[in-house]
Amino acid sequence: MLDPTVITENLPLFLEGALMTLRVTAIAFVVGMTIGGIASVAILSSIAPLRWLAAAYVAVMRGTPFIVLLFLIHYGLPAMGVRLPALVNGTVALSLFAGAYYTEIIRACVKALPKGQWESARAIGMSPVAAARDIIIPQILGPMVPPVVNCTMTMIKESSVLSTITVAELTFAGLVVQGETFAPFEVFITVALIYWAITAAFAFGAALFERRLAGANRNRLMTPLVARYLLLDGGRT
Amino acid sequence: MTQTALEAINLIRRFGETRALDEVYFTIPKGQVVSLVGPSGCGKSTLLRTLLWLEPPDDGFVKVGDRYLGKDLSPEGLVRRQSGREIDRIRPRIGMVYQSLNLWPHLTVEQNVTRPQIRVARRRPEDARDKAQALLDRLQIAQLSDRYPGEISGGQKQRVAIARALAMDPEIMLFDEPTSALDPELVGEVLSLLREFADGGMTMMVVTHELAFARDVASRLMFMDHGRIVADGDPNTVISSRKNARVAEFFDRVQAFHPDFRNPHQRRQR
Repeated sequence: MLDPTVITENLPLFLEGALMTLRVTAIAFVVGMTIGGIASVAILSSIAPLRWLAAAYVAVMRGTPFIVLLFLIHYGLPAMGVRLPALVNGTVALSLFAGAYYTEIIRACVKALPKGQWESARAIGMSPVAAARDIIIPQILGPMVPPVVNCTMTMIKESSVLSTITVAELTFAGLVVQGETFAPFEVFITVALIYWAITAAFAFGAALFERRLAGANRNRLMTPLVARYLLLDGGRT
Repeated sequence: MTQTALEAINLIRRFGETRALDEVYFTIPKGQVVSLVGPSGCGKSTLLRTLLWLEPPDDGFVKVGDRYLGKDLSPEGLVRRQSGREIDRIRPRIGMVYQSLNLWPHLTVEQNVTRPQIRVARRRPEDARDKAQALLDRLQIAQLSDRYPGEISGGQKQRVAIARALAMDPEIMLFDEPTSALDPELVGEVLSLLREFADGGMTMMVVTHELAFARDVASRLMFMDHGRIVADGDPNTVISSRKNARVAEFFDRVQAFHPDFRNPHQRRQR
C-alpha cells in the first residue's frame, strides 16, 4: 500500500526542488532564446565565418548527449582552473543545449518565409535591423510557438539530469527523500506528477499565447467575411 | 537637357560561364515609359535585381537620378563602394513592384504603405498616413486601408504594392511582369492603370510579355537576349526592324499567332 505520509512530510523538499527546476529552466529558456536569436542571425548572415561558427555550435550541441555536455562543463572547467557552483554549471550547460535547438527552430521559421518578404523590405530601403524587426520577426513568432514549446518541455524534463551534479532540483529532491524513506514508488510518482504539472502549465500558457497571436493574425487564417463577422474589435495595432 | 531617371553603365554579371548581364548600358530620361521584352531566361529579372543592388553586378554602375547606387564613381574616376546605409538611402528612389508583389501579410494595407515611409524616409506617422491615404485614394482602394493583404483580391493587392512603392517618391517605377500572375480580366485592369500612369508622366520600366502594351503604351522598347540589350528604340521601329535576327525571329513568331501585330492600324481601318 502506498504511504501518503512520505509525501506530506517531505512536501517542502519536493516544492523546493520543483522551484529550483523552474528557476533553472526559466533561465535556460531566456538565455537559450537569446543564444538562438544571435546564432540564427549568424547562420542566416552572408558572412561565411559567422555561418560556420554558428553551424559548428549547433552541430556540436545537437550531436552530444546532454549528460556528456554537462560533465564536460562541470568536471572539465575545474580541470582548467575555472571553479563555479554546480548550479551555475548546470544552468550554463542547459542554456547552451537549448540554445542550439532554438537556433534551428528560428532558422527554419525564417527560411519558411518567402524570400521576397525580406527582399522587398530591403529594396525599399529598410536596414537589416528594421527589416528583421518590422517584417520578419512578427511573421515567425506564430509558427515558432509549437516547436519552441516542444523543445522547452523536453528541456524541463532534461533538467532532471542536473541531479547527477548535485543541483538540488526536483529529481535530486526525490533522490534525497527516497534515501531517507526507502519509498521509491511514492517518491517518484510524486516527482513525475510535479514534472507533469509544470509541463502542463507551460503548455497551457503557450496555448494561450498562440491563440492570442492567431487572434492578431486572424486575417490570414479565416476568410475575410468570417473574420469581419467575428472581429468586432478596436484593439488592433 | 532632360533629366535622367535611371542609368545603367556597363553592367556585367556572370554566373559561372554564362553571362546573365553582358555590358548592359541604357539611360532612361524622366517621363519615359520603357518596356523590357525578351525571352525567358534572358536576364530581365537579374537586371532588375541588379538595378536595386540586391545582386551587385560583377562590374558596372547604376545611377538613380543624380546619384550612384552601390558604387560611386567620382569625376576623377575613383570608384568607391558605398556603405550599407548609403545604399539603403538611395534604394527607395527606385520603386519596385514585384511579380509576386511581396506585400507584408501581417500589416494592414495602410501599414504596408506607411511603414517604409516611417522607417526609411523618417516621416512622421501622421504625414505617412496622409500620404498613404492620398495614394490609396488615387488608386481607388482607400476603402481597403484597414484590411490585410490576405483579405483583398489580386488586382487590389497589385494597387497596394504600387502605392507602397510610390509613397517613397521614386524617380522611376520598375514593374516586374505586372500582369503575369493575374487572370485575364485583371490583366486589362492593370494595363489600363499602367497606361494611366504613363499618360500622367510617370517614369516607368515595365518588364512584360504583354506585347500590345509594349507596342501601344511604351515610348521605348528594349529587347534583351542572353544578357544583352540587342534592340532599343521606338517600339514600332523595333518590332518591324530586321536588323537583329533574334529580334526579328521573336516578333515573326508573335506575328504568326497575331497576324495584325505589326500593323495594328490596318485592321482598324478595314
